[in-house]
Amino acid sequence: MSAQNRNLHKEIKEKLNNNVMQTALSRFADQYPKARLKAYANVDNIEDLRDSLRDMKRKTVDNIEQIANEFETSIKERGGQLYRAKDGDDLKQHLLQICLENNVHRIVKSKSMATEEIHLNKYLEQHDLHVRETDLGEWMLSVAGQKPSHMVMPAIHLDRNQCAEFFSEALDENIPSDIPFMIQTARRVLREEFLHADMGITGANFGIAENGAIGLVTNEGNARIVTTLPHIHVVIVGYEKLIPKIKDAAKILRLLPRNGTCQRMTSYMTMVDGPTPVIYKKGDQWVEEDRKLYVILLDNGRLKAAHDPKLKEIYQCVRCASCLNVCPIWTLVGGHVYGNIYSGGIGAILTGLLSSLEDFSKFSDLCIGCRKCESICPGKIPIPDLIDELRSRAVQEKGLNLPEKAVFQNVLSNRKVFHTLLRIASVAQKPVQSGKFIRHLPLFFAGMTKGRSLPALAAEPFRDRTSRLFKKNPEKPTMRAAFFSGCNLDFVFPDTSESVVKVLQNLGIEVVFPEGQNCCGKPVLGMGDRDTGCKIAKKNIEVFEAANVDIIISACPTCAETLHKTYVELFQNDSEWLARAQAMAAKVHEFTSFVADKYKKAGRLSPAKGKTTHMITYHDSCHMKRGLGIFTQPRALIKSTAGYEFTEMKNCDKCCGMAGAFGIKYSEISLPLLDEKISNIKDTGADTVAVACPACMMQLRGGLDQQAPNIQVKHIADILAENLPV
Amino acid sequence: MKKVCKDWVTNAFDDNLVNSSYWQEFEENARAASAEIIHAKDLQAAQTAISDLITTLNVNKIIATNDETSPELTALYKNIELMGSEIYTNKFDIAEHAPTADLGISMAEFGIGETGSVCVDNYSYEARVVGMLPPSHIIILNANHTVKNITTAFQIISRVFKRGYMGFITGPSRTADIERVLSLGVHGPSRFFIIAIDEMPTRRVH
Repeated sequence: MSAQNRNLHKEIKEKLNNNVMQTALSRFADQYPKARLKAYANVDNIEDLRDSLRDMKRKTVDNIEQIANEFETSIKERGGQLYRAKDGDDLKQHLLQICLENNVHRIVKSKSMATEEIHLNKYLEQHDLHVRETDLGEWMLSVAGQKPSHMVMPAIHLDRNQCAEFFSEALDENIPSDIPFMIQTARRVLREEFLHADMGITGANFGIAENGAIGLVTNEGNARIVTTLPHIHVVIVGYEKLIPKIKDAAKILRLLPRNGTCQRMTSYMTMVDGPTPVIYKKGDQWVEEDRKLYVILLDNGRLKAAHDPKLKEIYQCVRCASCLNVCPIWTLVGGHVYGNIYSGGIGAILTGLLSSLEDFSKFSDLCIGCRKCESICPGKIPIPDLIDELRSRAVQEKGLNLPEKAVFQNVLSNRKVFHTLLRIASVAQKPVQSGKFIRHLPLFFAGMTKGRSLPALAAEPFRDRTSRLFKKNPEKPTMRAAFFSGCNLDFVFPDTSESVVKVLQNLGIEVVFPEGQNCCGKPVLGMGDRDTGCKIAKKNIEVFEAANVDIIISACPTCAETLHKTYVELFQNDSEWLARAQAMAAKVHEFTSFVADKYKKAGRLSPAKGKTTHMITYHDSCHMKRGLGIFTQPRALIKSTAGYEFTEMKNCDKCCGMAGAFGIKYSEISLPLLDEKISNIKDTGADTVAVACPACMMQLRGGLDQQAPNIQVKHIADILAENLPV
Repeated sequence: MKKVCKDWVTNAFDDNLVNSSYWQEFEENARAASAEIIHAKDLQAAQTAISDLITTLNVNKIIATNDETSPELTALYKNIELMGSEIYTNKFDIAEHAPTADLGISMAEFGIGETGSVCVDNYSYEARVVGMLPPSHIIILNANHTVKNITTAFQIISRVFKRGYMGFITGPSRTADIERVLSLGVHGPSRFFIIAIDEMPTRRVH
């Protein structure tokens, strides 16, 4: 389906209403993390394994031509043939030629996403070739005319009744929905296909340059039969699968099965090196001869990516699909809404590289940047960063679409306009406001508030309160700090900003608020508009340089990450601004980690004693935990506060569904994520949820206001401020 | 029989990497992967175990491979035939009877502690069909030939793997493609036995 004709919201809604799929995906999402860790239980250090895989793959991509040449030589020395296909059409024509030369009629296939990528089966069938997928899931889907929804579990979206329908249709028999019976039926039917096939086509999990061997990892064993019975073996392998040495295969194999299927090893790991013998009946005589081996190296955008300083990181992918297994969005909507053969975060990137930026743009929104995937990826690919990179290239190529463009380029980059609009909005919202929340919105905004109240803009923003607050600055300060509030803490949660100031002042710090500060720029950068992002960054850098402070404090992890990390990355090619961004970055501290450090030095961080009156739990913000690596300090601060008993919730670090503008734009996905979070909060029995991120605070307060108004959401700054010594 | 390496013990193994010390972890992991392990003192005990399996699995037709390192295994196959089983060991006979055989018997080079896998040298066509086509597969393994993990396994493999066909087998053929329910025996065997022999005679091949 072409990207332009799709109605993504409609497709998402269908998936969310598909009970079969929802049951399968939520059960899987729940079981996967534990099962994965169990598979790693007998490994000393997962990080060492991930590092060694990443390093090996990085070295390989930097020498990809040389490695490919060596692989080619090894194949040819052993009597195999090797062809380099520049794209899908090239590959298909070459393969058809091989089929014609060898009088091939029947083909069995195993383990090849690359052939899905180029729609090979359809092409071969158009040329009157009989082609059968032999992986059970892929066979069922091909019968049903469906696409895989997952690279490793292609049919996870189906249940046994649907599978039985496909079986019945394909075999023209009435097949009951009994799983063992279906498995035995598949064995019987596909065995005939194996025994009568002229050609076997496989992909490869790796190709070894040193000896020309290709490796195949399967559980069903279909790849072993495909590479054993037919007289001809065709391997279709992408450049990214090449590795230099035999021993390097171990680096893949210690991670791939564990991350992919939570196994220490799959049932079969098979390496085929050069033509191998086949025994068959020629006339009435049994003969033995070497089978023909054709290896096709597929480019289709891969070599270009290998020379791209950023995107070459996709060569670190081993196609385990674990990035989908932990993705809060994928586990809700499944693989099909991604609209292409590769789904999830890595799928978005592969689509951008192997298909087109246009196809990429359509579903790149579905990455919320929570970095859960990055934390478990065997090759340590920074998937959200690569998506950001592609977004920015898509914007450079096509520009932003109109409504976003107007907001970003004209409003957000001009602080005065933006802030004036926010002030007008705080008055204009009055008709729909009830207390601190907007409970209902008119017309098409209704979806935004269903099951979640949106916060009202504060009547008095933080910036109007500063002169009163700063009168209480210490007389002999130990240091001077500038507070970077970010939009939320300025206009929505100014009370929390007050708390931040009080806690810092209590530490003997003088606090200032540079009035010229603007939005950190993350919403713009997240959409890929780097030019506007740079403009905003420069303005903020100038403003904070002029403030002449020792440190800059942010109580929003997204702002902190943007100021500390993203600004520096933005100016990689501008030495003057790079130096200024670095100087600023060095001063930026996230509030809780800064305070925890100060409290520790002052002996104020030990667990509180005495009677507890509140049960409290903590929600990890994605940017806080995986962006900044801060998760022990907030907990230590809570535990040091008198009156609170701390308890952990299930999936404490899973995204709450806010994720910046995503929570509004895709409220149909955001709300189920919020519901899951709220049910995990309720299960703890806590009456208070602590957060350290204003965006999470907005989402959780909005949800709890409607679903469990007795549970309070507090920023850690508020908890600390309430308990300051008088 | 065609092999990647005619004599793994001489050309690929060394006592530091390959010995009996990883047996326990190997056994635990292999069982966890649904392999059925029978520990046998010697070939005589192995023969008893195999004939018991022939009875319990109701086997009529067997295909079996052997390499030149173990004439004792050839004798074992002969004994099984004498006990009344239909057994094929010639490569062409194996090819002809593979689609209808009930049981395959072949050898593994070593076991891997970390994963419970056995490393198989399957350059020959007959060794591959023996392990894949019948519904049950018996692997004969020298119980003293175990390695620590996948990394050491590849250290050994890299010494001899110049061409051919080899790999690991870890339990029976399985799928979870329907509702993620584990089902055995989808394309390959549903029963996978490892008969591990403590006193396995080995010979150098010249």
